[in-house]
Formats: sequence, structure tokens, C-alpha cells
Amino acid sequence: MAAAVHKLLHPIEHHRSKEENSQNNQSSSAHDRQDSAMDRARDEEKRSLAQWQDLKTPLEPGQIDEHPDRKMVGHSSDVLRQDDFELIKTLGTGTFARVWLVRVKNARNGDESKVFALKILRKVDVIRLKQVEHVRNERNVLAAVAGHPFITTMVASFQDHDSLYMLLDYCPGGEVFSYLRRARRFNEPTSQFYAAEIVLILEFLHEREGVAYRDLKPENILIDSEGHLKLVDFGFAKKVENRETYTLCGTPEYLAPEVIRNTGHGTAVDWWAFGILVYEFLVGQPPFWDQNPMKIYEQIVEGRVRFPSAMSPEARDLISGLCTVDTSKRLGNIKGGAGAVKAHPWFRNIDWDALYHRKVNGPIVPHLRGPADTRNFDEYEPESANREPYTQEMRDKWDDFFHDF
Amino acid sequence: MSLPPDYSNEISALNREILKHQPADVLQFCANFFLRRLESQRAEFLLSQQHSSPKGRGMAESTFPGSNPFGTPPSAGFASSHMHRLEEEEENDTIASPTAASFAPSAMDKAQASAAGEDTFGNFAGFGASSKSARSQPPSAGGASDAPSFPSNYNLNRRTSVSAESLNPASSANDNWTPPYHHKTDEQQARLRSAVSGNFLFSHLDDEQSALVLGALQEKPIPTKGIKVIQQGDVGDYFYVVEKGAFDIYVNKSGKLEAGPDGLGSKVGTVGPGGSFGELALMYNAPRAATVVSAEQSTLWALDRVTFRRILMDSAFQRRRMYEGFLEEVQLLASLTPYERSKIADALETKKYPAGTTIIKEGDVGESFYILESGEAEVYKRGIEKPVNRYKKGDYFGELALLNDAPRAASVVSTTEVKVATLGKNGFQRLLGPVEGIMRRNDPSKAAEAHDADGVDPLAKAT
Repeated sequence: MAAAVHKLLHPIEHHRSKEENSQNNQSSSAHDRQDSAMDRARDEEKRSLAQWQDLKTPLEPGQIDEHPDRKMVGHSSDVLRQDDFELIKTLGTGTFARVWLVRVKNARNGDESKVFALKILRKVDVIRLKQVEHVRNERNVLAAVAGHPFITTMVASFQDHDSLYMLLDYCPGGEVFSYLRRARRFNEPTSQFYAAEIVLILEFLHEREGVAYRDLKPENILIDSEGHLKLVDFGFAKKVENRETYTLCGTPEYLAPEVIRNTGHGTAVDWWAFGILVYEFLVGQPPFWDQNPMKIYEQIVEGRVRFPSAMSPEARDLISGLCTVDTSKRLGNIKGGAGAVKAHPWFRNIDWDALYHRKVNGPIVPHLRGPADTRNFDEYEPESANREPYTQEMRDKWDDFFHDF
Repeated sequence: MSLPPDYSNEISALNREILKHQPADVLQFCANFFLRRLESQRAEFLLSQQHSSPKGRGMAESTFPGSNPFGTPPSAGFASSHMHRLEEEEENDTIASPTAASFAPSAMDKAQASAAGEDTFGNFAGFGASSKSARSQPPSAGGASDAPSFPSNYNLNRRTSVSAESLNPASSANDNWTPPYHHKTDEQQARLRSAVSGNFLFSHLDDEQSALVLGALQEKPIPTKGIKVIQQGDVGDYFYVVEKGAFDIYVNKSGKLEAGPDGLGSKVGTVGPGGSFGELALMYNAPRAATVVSAEQSTLWALDRVTFRRILMDSAFQRRRMYEGFLEEVQLLASLTPYERSKIADALETKKYPAGTTIIKEGDVGESFYILESGEAEVYKRGIEKPVNRYKKGDYFGELALLNDAPRAASVVSTTEVKVATLGKNGFQRLLGPVEGIMRRNDPSKAAEAHDADGVDPLAKAT
């Protein structure tokens, strides 16, 4: 199998020169007289996507660190087009993006059943909502982390004249959010299992990649076909390394005090949000809430968490450690980093190595009728037909920002 | 003709409650009971609408880990009877809910699911009651206290992310942004200061930030009555403080201002001088929650989000860089990585002292280390009348406290008003561990040198 992986690591030359490709785009009859080499390259690429689907082995942290161009996943493709995929159903929508369940078109024998999630972003909306920087961060972070067992895998990214595309692995279990709301709350072992997989994600993002995720919440965590978690939506993820960052972003109930106060924030915000998440798992709602968002923020900067009397002392201690206003005292951010979180008594039953290698069974394993089952996703309104055009003027001004997408 | 079964269920639930609580005011109790029931039933309905498709698919076929970790009989406190009642009733509700057909069997799976979970984690004793579902509890399991300690009307929908404009600090020298400044009289200044003092977004600001923010507020005359300063549902960019006059606040239940005579919705309040509105706009661009209309000729002060956040960001950014710069000069901490240095810079606490304050005292046990951020100080030693040293901006003292518990070797007294950045030994160790380890990291001889203290801290010489 090592040989197979090696072959997949270099499936085709995806980094054919950008110039060549943009020249192709500029000719008005883009692909009627297209050279057959290009078509072959596309076929090859589609083939390699399908093969990756078969393998889907999580990479070791060291392998994930490889340059995206040398990994089997995470590269920017010059040959893929929206045309290569059949849009089956909307899986989710955001303010400037829509995620589709897709199937590879004209796939080779045996590959017809291979499905992916395709996130489509309209350049015009991205620009209008001032999210250019966030979208670039998202692609680059996803490329850098592709292959982690508990992070959605960006198989490839590409673009056309008015849209950006991220081809992601499809996670048929749906959102942890939906399971949590139906269950109202998770019992302690279930919460521990999910929390532990999140700890591994944050450890990897912070300590290997220098990335702050900045939007942890049950809505952004999916369950895969085996019952493991996949963190999705890296719209606010940013490589911060040792510099603080200032842009306010996240979800009101999960914002860390330093984000609200605009004093500069870093990876510590994810540990705060992680505390809120564990609390919400166990209690069914986050600790700080009010109908008026300003009142939520007031509670957050004050930082007094109240616990249900039935919550175990270990869980309280963990959450108190994480939801500490002073970042120099916050668990996860203090000495030991993620290791200190992993060593917390609440996690004493976790075998971290087995967990990373997906050897531990998840508490919820979705029942599915095949890999393209979408029962765990809600129905969404169809995309509105009248789209604002991406004008030549905007293109001249903005397309440079997207050139490496 | 018989009564509808739903009705009978409600009435028997009410009967149980009445028996349990023996309320004095029966009508009020019944009214409250039905209001709560309605709220919970509607919430549940919305939820089922949202999370299951009309075709009755949804996740019902998956195993369901929803056993109740608080399933033990609640003691008073968190588990107010209110919340418990809600949960139990909702469990009952689901039987008759749109998802009923598939829900019930999955609820039966609960025990199995939790059992599997427990296998995974070995003998997990903590919440062993996990197979006991909430449904198996008697409906009267709620405690007696009715303290509304938790909001039971929590919005159970998907939450949308928010974000403000991407802000990057003025890192290059040629980007010399300065906040706008609009002159105000001393009285106006004082009024504004007190108007925003109760707002947590302003109460954390230091004096410099506060002065910049107040300076940036811009006067906005409102010439007549009836002007809509903000409209419900619109995007919000400004925060307003009322200087004089009055404003009426209206909320339309539809969530936005509508056309027509009743488009404003109902009036929910009035703001007068010293009041303020629209503060959420200082955080990010969210739809306005109300419409605000002038009730007479008035004057407002306005502040926009980008200016506000930029002032905060620039001052925080500059302070951090300054701290990091100071820390680079501290020999004891020379081997810190940039990452560690930024952690320490983040943890430094600013303190101000008036002139003539003894910041550290010779002979005391040292707890903290100090960097002089502004102002000047003098160093005294017992038995010597004149100061043995003077400190100015960027100088640091007391850092040996990070290393050991030796008494302070001298006193430091401020000669002007001073601002110091300080960090305690505990804080340092919490973040990076013992300082000895850090010093030994590169060069063992350095550690010895530091212990020797010569050239590290003039304060240490005496000991």
C-alpha cells in the first residue's frame, strides 16, 4: 500500500503553469478546440480524486505538513471545472457560499458512486461582504491541514471566471449540532469522546500549524460515516503563529472575552470556545446567553460560568480552566498547551494515540443507505436565479487576490 | 363527544403541578403554566420542523446518545422546576410530534447507545445513570425552587457567525492613520464620559484609549422631531449618545421597519440626554434591533465601528510591540523564543503609580517583575542617602523575583507619575514554567552568571 500512496502523492503534474491556463481561459472559445493533453489531465485528476476516496487513510502529522503540491490532497487544480461535477443536492448555505453534494461526471467504471461536497463561493458576494481575506485564509489553511483525521479534507480547489470552488470530502452523518439538539444534551462519555477528538484537532492546528480556528461550535462539526468528527468551515481560520490578530469574528455565544474587547487575540480563543462547547454538550445550551447580544458579551467579559449542580467536578474544573478570562491563566494557553488539556482528569479514560488513528468507535454511527445518502442534512431553498454579475471592472480590481486559489 | 386527548394530557399535567405546588394564586399559576407549555411546545415544533424533513427522514435511524446526564433526581439550584418540567414535557411531546413515528424507537435505543459509549471508555462510573432516560422519571421530579437561574427560552436554532471588517494594524510607518478628532467642551467631555461609563465596551479602556474614543465622537444635529436615526433591520455602523433632546424606540415584531402607519411597530422606550443606543454596531455589522425616532429637536454624538475598533487595535498593537521590545532587552529572558515573548507580553499587566510611590521595597520578598513604560523612578539603598540609580522608559527591575524568593535588594520610588508593565512569578511559571529552565536552555554558563546576578540587576548586588 505504501507504493499506492506514493503513486497517489504524485498523481499528475497539477502545477502546470498558471500562465498556460489563463491563456486558455482568455481565448473566447475556451475548450472547443482544447488540446487533448488538457482533457487527459482532467481525466487523470478525476481518477485520482476517486482513488483518494477509496483510500481515505488519515495522514500522520508529519505527512500533513508536506507542501500541498506534494500531497495527494489539498492542491490547487488548473484543470478541474464545475462541469466535471454533477450537483446532486444542497448540503448547506452560508451568506456567500453554498455547499453541494456532487458526483464526478463521466467518471471511469466503478467511480460513479464516488461523491464529494463542493463548496461554491461567488466572487462577487465574497467581495461585497468583505470576505476576500477570510476566503483566502480558508483555502490556504485547508490546503495545509488536508489529511488530518478529524478535519474536513480539501481534496482540491479551483476557480472559474466568477466562482471559487473547494472540493471537500462528504461527511454523511450531518452536524453534531443536529444530534445535540435532538438529544438535548450528551451524556458524559459521548461528550468526552467528541471533546477529545476536538482537542486533537486544536493541538494540531495550534501547535503544528500556528492556526487559530476561531469558529468552534456544534454547527461546524460533522459526523463522518464511521462516527468520527470532521471540523468544517474554515472561513475564519487564520495562520497567526506568534502574532496576535484583531478582526472580530466567530459566533456570539462562543466569542472569547479578548475578541470582544479587541485587545488582540490568538489561538487561545479556541480553548475558550472549546470550554463553551463542552458545556453545551453537557448542558444543552451555552453558559452565556441572552436575547440581546450585548448582554451576552457583557456576561462573557465578566466570565462567571454557572454550573448545573449535577455536573461532575472534573467537567466543571475543565470548563472553568478553559473559560478563564485571563489568557495567561487559561488552560490550553498556559504551559503544556494542548498537552495540559489532554492530561486533565476529565479525559483520563482517553487513549489519545488510538483516538488519533480512529481505532476507537464513535458513540453515534449514522445509519446510511450508501455513501451519497443525504438524510442527515436539512432541505435548503434553491439558489436564487438572479445573481449579481462579476463585472470586468471587479475582475480587474480583484482577480489578483484569487490568483492562487 | 369526548374531549381531545391532547387537552386531557395538558389538564392532568396541570393537576399534578397544582397538587405539587399548592399555589395560593390559582389563576396566575394556571396562566403561567400554559404560557410555559406553549413556549416549549412551539420551540419543539420549530425544532422538529427544522431538523427533520417533511418526508419524515432525518436522523431518527441513527443511534441516539441522548440520555440525560442530569438524570439523577435534581437537588435544588440549577435544576429549577421550570427547566425540568420543560424537558420532561418535551420528551412527552415528541411522541406526538411530526417525527413521532421514528423517534420513539430511537429513544428506546438510548440505553444501547450509552452502553456502547461506556464500553469505549471502560468503566466510567461518573454518570452511570445514563441508561435512565428522562422519560422514565416521574413528572414531578422537578425541584421546588423556581429560581430562573438559566434562561429556559434558549434559542435552539443554528447560530450564524458574525464578523467585522478585517482590520490590520498600522504595521508600516507610511500608514499613519490617526483617529478623527472633534472638539468638545470640558462639560461635553465629562457628560460623554459618564454616558458611556456604564457600557462594558468602554469601561475597559485605559485613559489614552478613552480620550481618543471620546475625541472621535462626532456631533450630529437632529433638526426636528420625527427623524429616524436608525431603522430596524438596516445594517448598523454607528453608535449614538444623546447630548440633548429625546428619542423614541420602536420595535416591529417582524424584525424590520415596514411601510404604513404601523410600520414602526410598538414603542418600547425613550432615551434622553446621557442615554445611548446602537452599541452592537461597534462590534460588527448586525441588523438594527429597533427603530429610533427623534421626539424633538435633538443633538447626538456618533461613533462608527471602524474608528472605534481601529483606535483599540492600534493602541493594543503598539503596546504589545513596545512590551516585546522591552522584553528583548531583559538579559534574564534573552533565550525566550518570539512565541514565548509574545505570550509574556500578552500577560503583562499595566499599573499606574503617582509620583513618590514606593513600587518595590528593599527587604521585601519579591513577587513581581516590572518594566517602566513611562515616567521615571529612582533606586535607593538603605544607608545611602542619594539614589544609586535612575530608571526611565524601557528600564526594568525586580526580575530576580522570577527566579527566587530572595528579598528585594533595593527600593524603587517613582519620581513622576509612572506606568509600569508587571508580571508575577506565578504568572510567568504558569505560562512558561520555571525561569531557571529557560535560562539553562542555551548556555549553562549563562545560568550561573544570572545566579551570580552581576550585570543582570543592580538591585541584586547587595545580597
